[in-house]
Amino acid sequence: MTTTGKKEVIRTYCCIEDGIMCGLLAHVEDGVLKKVEPADFPEDPGMKHVCLRGLCTVKLVYHPDRLKYPMKRVGERGEGKWEKISWDEAFDTIAEKFKGTAEKYGEEAVAIASGGFFSSVVNMIFSRLANAIQGTLISLGGYGDFGGPCGDMTTFGIPMGERFIQDVEDPGMYVFWGANYTETYPLRWRKIRDAKEKGAKLVVIDPLFTSSASKADDYIPIRPGTDSALALGMMNVVLEKGLEDKEFMTKYTVGPFLVKTDDGMFLRNPDDPEKYMVWDLKTDSVKSSEEDGVEPAMEGTFTVSGIECRPSYQLLVDLASEYTLEKTSEITEIPEEAIEKLALDYIEKRPVASCRGWGVQRTFHGDLTHRAIAALAALTGNLRRVGFRTIPLNFLGYTAVEGRAAKSLPIMNLYDAIEKGDPYQVKALWTSSHNILSQDANNNRLIKEVIPELDFYVVNELFMTTSAKYADIVLPASTFYECMGLSTTYDVQVIPYIQLMQKVIEPMYDTKPDFEIACEVGKRMGFPEYFNKSVEENIELMLSNQNDLSIERLRQGPVKAPMNVEGENWEFTTPSKKIEFYSEKLKKFGEELPLYKEPLESNRRPKAEKYPLSYFSTHTKFRKHSMYANVDWLKELDPGPVVEMNPVDAEARSISTGDIVTVTNDRGKAKVKAKVHEGIKPGIVNIKQGWWHTDFIEGHHQELTQSEINPAQTAALEPNMSLLDNLVEVSREGGHE
Amino acid sequence: MSKRYGMMIDLERCIGCHTCTISCKFENNIEKGSGIRVETVGGPQMDTPGGKYPNLSMHYLPIPCMHCNEPPCIDVCPVEAISKREDGIVIIDEDKCDGCESCITECPYGTIIFDKEKDIARKCSLCSHRIDEGQVPFCVVCCETEAMYFGDINDPESDVSKMISKSNAKTIVKDTDTGPAVYYSPTRNGKIT
Repeated sequence: MTTTGKKEVIRTYCCIEDGIMCGLLAHVEDGVLKKVEPADFPEDPGMKHVCLRGLCTVKLVYHPDRLKYPMKRVGERGEGKWEKISWDEAFDTIAEKFKGTAEKYGEEAVAIASGGFFSSVVNMIFSRLANAIQGTLISLGGYGDFGGPCGDMTTFGIPMGERFIQDVEDPGMYVFWGANYTETYPLRWRKIRDAKEKGAKLVVIDPLFTSSASKADDYIPIRPGTDSALALGMMNVVLEKGLEDKEFMTKYTVGPFLVKTDDGMFLRNPDDPEKYMVWDLKTDSVKSSEEDGVEPAMEGTFTVSGIECRPSYQLLVDLASEYTLEKTSEITEIPEEAIEKLALDYIEKRPVASCRGWGVQRTFHGDLTHRAIAALAALTGNLRRVGFRTIPLNFLGYTAVEGRAAKSLPIMNLYDAIEKGDPYQVKALWTSSHNILSQDANNNRLIKEVIPELDFYVVNELFMTTSAKYADIVLPASTFYECMGLSTTYDVQVIPYIQLMQKVIEPMYDTKPDFEIACEVGKRMGFPEYFNKSVEENIELMLSNQNDLSIERLRQGPVKAPMNVEGENWEFTTPSKKIEFYSEKLKKFGEELPLYKEPLESNRRPKAEKYPLSYFSTHTKFRKHSMYANVDWLKELDPGPVVEMNPVDAEARSISTGDIVTVTNDRGKAKVKAKVHEGIKPGIVNIKQGWWHTDFIEGHHQELTQSEINPAQTAALEPNMSLLDNLVEVSREGGHE
Repeated sequence: MSKRYGMMIDLERCIGCHTCTISCKFENNIEKGSGIRVETVGGPQMDTPGGKYPNLSMHYLPIPCMHCNEPPCIDVCPVEAISKREDGIVIIDEDKCDGCESCITECPYGTIIFDKEKDIARKCSLCSHRIDEGQVPFCVVCCETEAMYFGDINDPESDVSKMISKSNAKTIVKDTDTGPAVYYSPTRNGKIT
């Protein structure tokens, strides 16, 4: 290469932290990316941000192990025997196999799982491809991220109610429910830090003493998966002392709506089933809730045409009343005084911001937990409408294919679809930006029972991940520095800017951007008119519904989304247009109220006799999912997987730090070194997630996780993986570091 | 008074993310190790607290070169490769250094590392190459929680001096007072080390 000494600084954004998308300035010398630094958002100086992983994206680009050319499998699946092929052969084979599968099993038997669309909406080209071939588009939300959304869809009618419950202005207190923002969400942490510096209190509820816990005024250790019991116990404290915000509950929630005792459904207006009925205290009679001058009863039992009814608020009060301090403390293992103090703080420190982290949603009943915390926030008058910033882009136009549509299948249902043909047969799979064989639950089931049932499996990747290793065709993808893309804005995003991902360097080796790969397959599947336009033309198509947006405009810098304010008449997108702490839809699961249910694999289940330890696989600052696990500079700081355990549990098993131990259950095992320390509640062990199979002495952290489906979550939105709801035992192997 | 560049690090703000460590490696091309390391103050291992569950405490302590007033490393260097610039920055002349490691042993803060590839000692130069171009050290640019302040600590009007006096920041205390130019604003519990 000729060196001209040409130095450039090109603005792009970090697409690897999906959902955050920090602005980056890429320093390029003679076509080589040297380093990146955080880029300014002049209107929002606090958004200039980069993390250690963001800096290390450069290390991914020039990593010696990058996939350099397309390959086809020549040995057994997973054996690692490959033959280099041309892109043409790769594309032709994929098209031929997809067509063959569709012919034999039906079009929906070809499934595409693409996880990259949050990072660059250009990657929604995979949705267009799935629509064109009328295949199956896998929804990836259930990979650990939909427990909360299942709850919030029920309560608020949107997947993430963070703008009501967390983004309150000038909070007197932040409460982290299983959240560790200092490690996993540092840009959001800045806001909390600012509030703390102005005097806000921070309470962290977590069985792990995280770096966030180290910043807390009160640290509340809790038994895993019992947060909804805590929320109910707190509601009871508030109700017993008469401190509840009944006005809010009356005005904005389903609280006044009458529920029939016999079937648990809301009493409707017989002339208009859209209307809900309340008991009017003024006239002592039943009325439509919307009628003028109605003064609805919130408590009591009423008989309407011989049917016994109660306001749903009364049902919530009844439920909460079961959670006395004594009972709540027994379930959660939190001292009674701490529960009472936190409950009173929810009143005294108003407005209180509740931050519900992945810790509370990755249990089998994570949706109930989110609902219970939302109900607590409502009852204590801590919900707010601060608005949110988004610019809606023309995604529908981008993904639509006239007269054709893909089927949608949740990731958790993909297991049964491939293995048992339930709800229908999937026989060909393409995973893109999703390392299914490293990051999804019940790894042994996937590798030994699910993937072998596939006729054909394609992966486009940067590296030979475990997923790539089990593929039939592996395609070398370009990094985000090697192609163009576009960020998006959505309501809970911390950086509410549309940013342009500019091509910083040419694609390395014989790699191709994901967009091009999808287009080449689309053309060969018989849809050239949908896949023959450039990425620039497609970005313009997405921007076409916004008059002042264009690639040219975005090249000059990011564009901030305007504030959307909630209307005067605060309505929700729930069936009742109110906050639904009571859900008719979930009555058939016994979950009409946000009750506490013992976690599926809690340490109080019979299974705990054999596997007494609760098992976590938490996020870490050193990786993002399975990314960066192969970056040597990060491995200097965090060399490999360890199982963390409390000295109490370690001593009982004669384990010391550095000992080689095996973490097991009926699903699998992980052989790692032990790290014994006080920062973890006795009875729990944790292997931080993201390590590859090759990093373990034996097994893998995902071998231990269950893939059970919660039908109530299916009804609410989409079932979620219960990555923090698993039991294991740990035994010493005899070896030492 | 002449210039003296230094830093203040807010330990209540620091979240132990190691972004400073990684940013230093990029800016200064350090393959193994870094000009700044982040220690956990609490338990014996990284990211572990002290105390007994659940009564625990932990904080982080980023440690770059202290750019001492009286740098012990200068005196022990047999080839006079280490010097103090007029602006207070202590630098190693990589051409002169013969890799004897005397300075590494001598530094009370353990901030000098050995670069095996180049066979020389290396350490934080406060990114003097950037300062000479009017920029600030790269770790300060990248710090995730804006916990690092850089400037002339001899100028009472500089932002860093104001922060030092406002937050009652102190230097790390060792047996011999070497006069560090790196100050720490203590945690809410008054802790530094």
